[in-house]
Amino acid sequence: MTSLRAQLERPVGPPRVVVGIADLGLSADPESLLITYALGSCIGVTIYDPVARVGGMLHFMLPQSSLSPERAKSAPLMFADTGVPLLFTRAYEMGARKERMLVCAAGGAEILADEGHFKIGSRNRTMLRKLFWKNNVLLAAEDTGGSHSRTMALRLSDGLVTVRNKSEERVLWPT
Amino acid sequence: MADVSEILSLKKLPSMPEAMARAVPLLLDPDLNWRSLEEVVKRDEALTTAVLRVANSARFGAPGRQFDLRAAMTRLGRDEVRRCVLSQQVSGIAGGENAAFGLQRGALWRSALGGAIAAEHLAGVHGMRDRAGLAFLCGLLRDIGKLALNVRYGDAYLSAVAGHARDGVSFTDAERSALGFDHAEVGAALARKWKLPEQVARAIEAHHAPPPPGPGHDRLLDVVHAADTVCRWAGLGVGVDGMEYPLVQHVRESLGLDRRAAESQIGMVWDRLREIEDGPAQAETRGAAA
Repeated sequence: MTSLRAQLERPVGPPRVVVGIADLGLSADPESLLITYALGSCIGVTIYDPVARVGGMLHFMLPQSSLSPERAKSAPLMFADTGVPLLFTRAYEMGARKERMLVCAAGGAEILADEGHFKIGSRNRTMLRKLFWKNNVLLAAEDTGGSHSRTMALRLSDGLVTVRNKSEERVLWPT
Repeated sequence: MADVSEILSLKKLPSMPEAMARAVPLLLDPDLNWRSLEEVVKRDEALTTAVLRVANSARFGAPGRQFDLRAAMTRLGRDEVRRCVLSQQVSGIAGGENAAFGLQRGALWRSALGGAIAAEHLAGVHGMRDRAGLAFLCGLLRDIGKLALNVRYGDAYLSAVAGHARDGVSFTDAERSALGFDHAEVGAALARKWKLPEQVARAIEAHHAPPPPGPGHDRLLDVVHAADTVCRWAGLGVGVDGMEYPLVQHVRESLGLDRRAAESQIGMVWDRLREIEDGPAQAETRGAAA
């Protein structure tokens, strides 16, 4: 029997798996919620297999690992081209199937008045689209660009993806 | 509507840690008085523990554990002692959640440390090695205004500013339209209240808008401004203000920041941050950030 103290201390809402920067999280627990904060120019990618009820989330920072092959080895989740394959591979290991996967993305913002000098957010978006196109993966929904920050969450019970921008939260998937 | 002086008079405002107040002048002195610094560290148990932990971490893998503070400080050397002392002290005041800027627990602290690392590095590679320690301190403290605004407004801050936010308008402009001041100004006032060197207050004040070459220009301010942008790209300290600050043109040009240099800086900051967080010295802080 659960003690009164345990009941009182139980956090409200589903258990959260917080995905940090240059990090990924996976879960097959239908009670859990994957969440990542502070998406600026970084991009959050969620994948969800509604049959296997396996979900994953990646928070990557930069588009290409060719910037630093050494760093790509020690921190592959930092880059789109090394992090995204890892996200999918780990989900397959948990029983997810590519053809059932629902994929969403959020983030890829730019600093104000970037004027094409850096375009780190847009290069992240381009690299992600290129990777998906090459691998026949369709994006079910995305919320990218602008200059604002985003918080992205994936609910494992039904695959609901939400994006919060400042104080407003909206459902990204189902569309 | 509040003004800066009202905010500075709030009773719950964070005060500068005592050891930090005593250590800053010593750490910025080119002729560091090790004996005096040891006295300062010794009086603060948590700080002593932090220094010993770093000295005994794998990163400084000299053989044998070191329990003597003076020997540990010697093993670390001046630059590392400075980093350790300042970051340990600031972690105590910046480690909590910041509801005003929508930052989770530990996020403001990680951004402070990231900014310190970036500013120190940029100062070193742009001919200011002698000011690298000062740059580290400025990067570390650049957002202390957010601490004060969190005390004053809490999560009501965004709604106070939101009505003035427009596409293409910087967050500091929105703050000024809404409140008559911005977080950089509040931070500089707090630094002056804490009697930090005027250069630190100026760097905090100008960390989103360093003055162009001419009267008032100081490359230290450029470096701190660029470090702040690098942090934002690295996802550090990205709260309700998002990416809503520009990188000033003269800074981009004078520091030669192009796409590749920016991405290298982002990677470098991230590597250093992980290195520090994976070390035993910051174990408590890492817990706070999770």
